[in-house]
Amino acid sequence: MEASDVRRTLSRLRVEQVLGAIVAVLLLYLVVDLLRQLVTGTLSASTLQQYLWRGIVVGLIYGLAGIGLSMTYSILRFANFSHGDLLTTGMFSGWSAAYVIAGFGAYNLGNLLLVRPNNDPTPGAVGMAIDSQPVAILGGIVVAALFTVAIALAADRLVYRRLRKQSSIALLIASVGVAFVLRYLIAFVFTRSNRAVPASAPETTLDLGIASTTVNLHEMTLVVSAIVLMVGVHLMLQHTKLGTSMRAMADNRDLAKITGIPTERVVLATWVIGAALAGIAGYLIVLNTGTITYTRGWTLLLPVFAGVILGGIGSVYGAILGGLIIGIVDEVAIIWLPNEMTMAAAFLLMIFILIFRPQGLLGGVETA
Amino acid sequence: MAENSLLTVADLDAGYGDLQILDGVDLAVEDGEYVTIVGPNGAGKSTVMKTVFGLTTYMDGSIEFDGEEISRLRPDQIIRKGVGYVPQSDNVFPSLTVRENLEMGAYILDSIPEERIDMVYDRFPVLEERSGQTAGSMSGGQQQMVAMGRALMLDPDLLLLDEPSAGLAPDLVEDLFDRVDAINDGGTAILMVEQNAKEALRRCDRGYVLVQGQNRHEDDGDALLADQQVREDFLGG
Repeated sequence: MEASDVRRTLSRLRVEQVLGAIVAVLLLYLVVDLLRQLVTGTLSASTLQQYLWRGIVVGLIYGLAGIGLSMTYSILRFANFSHGDLLTTGMFSGWSAAYVIAGFGAYNLGNLLLVRPNNDPTPGAVGMAIDSQPVAILGGIVVAALFTVAIALAADRLVYRRLRKQSSIALLIASVGVAFVLRYLIAFVFTRSNRAVPASAPETTLDLGIASTTVNLHEMTLVVSAIVLMVGVHLMLQHTKLGTSMRAMADNRDLAKITGIPTERVVLATWVIGAALAGIAGYLIVLNTGTITYTRGWTLLLPVFAGVILGGIGSVYGAILGGLIIGIVDEVAIIWLPNEMTMAAAFLLMIFILIFRPQGLLGGVETA
Repeated sequence: MAENSLLTVADLDAGYGDLQILDGVDLAVEDGEYVTIVGPNGAGKSTVMKTVFGLTTYMDGSIEFDGEEISRLRPDQIIRKGVGYVPQSDNVFPSLTVRENLEMGAYILDSIPEERIDMVYDRFPVLEERSGQTAGSMSGGQQQMVAMGRALMLDPDLLLLDEPSAGLAPDLVEDLFDRVDAINDGGTAILMVEQNAKEALRRCDRGYVLVQGQNRHEDDGDALLADQQVREDFLGG
């Protein structure tokens, strides 16, 4: 082969192909290194499974929270920046209800309602765990959903509905405003302190097929709830008239209108479902992290958004898949990276995937 | 113009926002009649359809359907009166299956009318074969059948067809017009806008020639085809 041919071949290589080769080599290296660490015992199988499990736990929350974000995008056509603060709304309203149910009569009602702003009573004293207070914990899920739906519907009526015919940028900016209002209303009512909420839960062992590790029942509660809700959303979308009309509206809003689909009612249903899932996701993540503070939802919005975009914005299934990938990468990357860098690895992967599939993994495959 | 026409449009002014497109349009469709609107680009042919269906800015005049004024109704109310509408483009839900597209056509009913779905399948057998396939993965001609099937789900008395042959391969156009004939033979009145003016006029009962938002000619389809003036103006001699 002549030098000029080589040059021509090289110039025909597109940037993506070069990047693709680099990513492939990197991934291969990581897999080999992972095996090496497992064989040499630097990394035990049970530790690896522990990371994977934690990734699934966090990823399911990202996915659950992302469903509403993706739905609002595909049906209302804007990126809802107040979605993170809907998570916070669910967090506080749900745990407030859980504390009231668990401690009613035994403790100061104000302290229970405001989720122990003065660190009194302690979670352990109230017995705020799934084994000792299952009704309170599950009741909190219901209240988190209902209250967050009420807040989202109020925001739609006061703000978004007036902007229905405006550009998606106007709606996006308005949603940033709604986010701030929600966040500081929550700070005003519940104070800005960061406090522990659930008590520690009993542990059990789990085998994902790699090794046996201990997980706690709160993580199990979170995982089971998230999966049940995701299956529910899937069945609703694929097998009900409402779900079909939601997909129809995501496809083509004008055609939906002239087909006789009551588009405003579909919009309301979108808020109800999206906000309920956001509220529940916010409530559940506290089971995992243990503490609650008024900025938690806002800081979660970024990885949730990343998952949604990675999976293909507008796709509910993409939101779940993307959330899981972000969560698992964030946790598993700890094998190679310092703690502060793991989220960067997840975002780097997102960027790589978007270079090859700008529409996201499931974007354009499954709508709504 | 008969008193008891199915659709009577009289002195209609309409457009988009402040932009007026239609200027005193008169038009009628009798029960079971097949009427086409032809005319040059920008004459407002599609705007007539959209206005009947409540999708434009209504300005003045009247639109009576089955003896009732419908000019101020919303599309979902007009559907209930018995009017079906097939837009020119983007007229299927691409990620929904064929069957789901048809089901959406009957959204306003409480339950899915299986007998109507069977009727649409009888008319377009290919839709039954592909009932589980997403509409977006089908050919242009098949998508047009999905769109028509969806509009037929409520068994409308009047079907509005906006350029049904647009974008179809020439060998499919004939087939499409045959299907429109068949729908009309089943008793559904048709109001159709067509680029393919000669073929449309040959098939229809009556035609209107629209120019610059105004009626220019009105006659039987064959008479319009034979009219020297119409031929020179719009049909290429």
